[in-house]
Amino acid sequence: MASRTLAVWEHRKVVGLLVRRDLKVKYQQSVLGYAWTMLEPLALTLVYFFVFGLVLQADRGIPEEAKPYGGYILFLVAGILPWTTFGAILSEAPKAMITHSKLITTMKVPREIFPMATVGTKFVEYLLTWPVLLIFVFALGGRFTWEGMLVWLPLAIVLTFAFGLGVTLFLASVNVLLRDVERLTRILTRILFYGSAILFPASMVLHSDGVPGWAKTIYELNPLMGIFQMHRTVWFAGFEELTPSPLAVTSAVVGSILMLAIGYWTFRRLEMSVLKEL
Amino acid sequence: MASTYEAAVTGGPVIEAKGLGVKFAVNRRRKRSLREMFIHGNKRDPNAEGNEFWPLRDVSFEIAKGDCVGIVGKNGTGKSTLLKMIAGVLIPDEGTVEVRGKVAPLLELRAGFNDNLTGRENVYLVGSLHGMSEKQIDERFDEIVDFAEVKPKFIDTPVRHYSSGMKVRLGFALISQLEHPIMLVDEVLAVGDKAFKRKCYEAIDRMLANERTMVLVSHNERDLKRFCNRGLYIKGGELALDTDIDSALAAYNADTKVEIEERKKKDEAKKKRAEEKAKKVESEQKAVEADAEDKAEKKDEKGEGKDGGRAA
Repeated sequence: MASRTLAVWEHRKVVGLLVRRDLKVKYQQSVLGYAWTMLEPLALTLVYFFVFGLVLQADRGIPEEAKPYGGYILFLVAGILPWTTFGAILSEAPKAMITHSKLITTMKVPREIFPMATVGTKFVEYLLTWPVLLIFVFALGGRFTWEGMLVWLPLAIVLTFAFGLGVTLFLASVNVLLRDVERLTRILTRILFYGSAILFPASMVLHSDGVPGWAKTIYELNPLMGIFQMHRTVWFAGFEELTPSPLAVTSAVVGSILMLAIGYWTFRRLEMSVLKEL
Repeated sequence: MASTYEAAVTGGPVIEAKGLGVKFAVNRRRKRSLREMFIHGNKRDPNAEGNEFWPLRDVSFEIAKGDCVGIVGKNGTGKSTLLKMIAGVLIPDEGTVEVRGKVAPLLELRAGFNDNLTGRENVYLVGSLHGMSEKQIDERFDEIVDFAEVKPKFIDTPVRHYSSGMKVRLGFALISQLEHPIMLVDEVLAVGDKAFKRKCYEAIDRMLANERTMVLVSHNERDLKRFCNRGLYIKGGELALDTDIDSALAAYNADTKVEIEERKKKDEAKKKRAEEKAKKVESEQKAVEADAEDKAEKKDEKGEGKDGGRAA
């Protein structure tokens, strides 16, 4: 395990090269290039704002005092931007090994670096969404707080990508042996989108009378819900309704570590069969 | 497990394989392998059914520095699999293979070229992936392009517009620039036109002159005899012979001859059988025709029609 980590570290340059290649290919092929990274979440935000904000009034979950600090729109943007990245990780994850099959079968490198490169690319793309987010923060009067910047932001980013890497390691290896995984992931992504309370504050579910208690517990145990709550608490620190509960934080931290461990374990377990199948 | 990431150690053989074996699942048993992972773990199941196939088993050999080893054998006897295990891109199910030093894999020459990137970008990408520094590539870039005979105006065109020959030439030109002490070559010499082939030979000769170790898989006797000083003959997934290249080739040819003869015999036997069958069918047909005539004559005696026909 330790020697393996060392081997991965020695090949960090390869990860960098693959990430740079992916970004190059992605932005070279389209005219608008980087603009797409902004346009896509913007369009989504607009649609969701109309449907969920104006029509279904999901913004009633936002506390009155939070409205001057960006309100529902900032809440949406701060959730949708990281979710777009996470959704992209989920959709790329099953293909992370298959698309590199030529390289994997000729180059002697620790195989983990291919899923890592996939997640790395998405991380860079996530960083590229920050200008959009900041525009919204300034335009809507979002506030910077020490608590948000030093506690919730690093925690949210680390957990998102730890979870993402775990999922990628898992899906990438299993999908080589069972191609059904790719389809299944697409459905799961949809479910997780609503299960992670991206469009409405989680408190609306947790304080709702119509939802049975056990369902609320399951909802809170979903690590992604806690993680995406953190992404928004960055801008709404101090509002209790918008801060993840201790249970949600615990399940987010434990869930991410567990996912990473399961992903890595599965990846190593399946490595031999995967190499034969590629 | 194979210590694939071992640093170079001085002395001793460069490549050392001990009891090497690899198995593949036949049919769609990989689904079971997934289940096994979660239930039994991936250790070998003592009660495993005969549903698996060992392309290679119990292969041991040592290759010393500076050797050029040719691997010969029929198609599907595991030559490429063996090469992949030496390259460290396939993990053996049994035994170990130790490789001391970096390996330059000339296994699939277009490997790693991204169709959407230009020739230049690909050279830098794949070169760096194989451990060349940017400076090294800078220095050799012109040489690589020149060797590959890619016209300068095409080097900044995406590789997807290249002909397959161009891609392979560029791949060979690049990989032959690697300074890794061990080279694995899998039938790449079969590509390219005559002029390019000659250049490849020269490049390989030059590499071998540098005290490098090479393992070559080929069906081309002339190539093998030209480069190799040692031969491994693989037969039915086992190492049948480990001698000089001439004896290995001789054994391989002898076996091939025997096989061809056997097949001829089989073919002849088949032919004979087919002829006999045809004769039989013919005579039967005649019989049936006669039978029909017979039937027309004596309609009342249905059951005896066939016998009657044959008798007639």
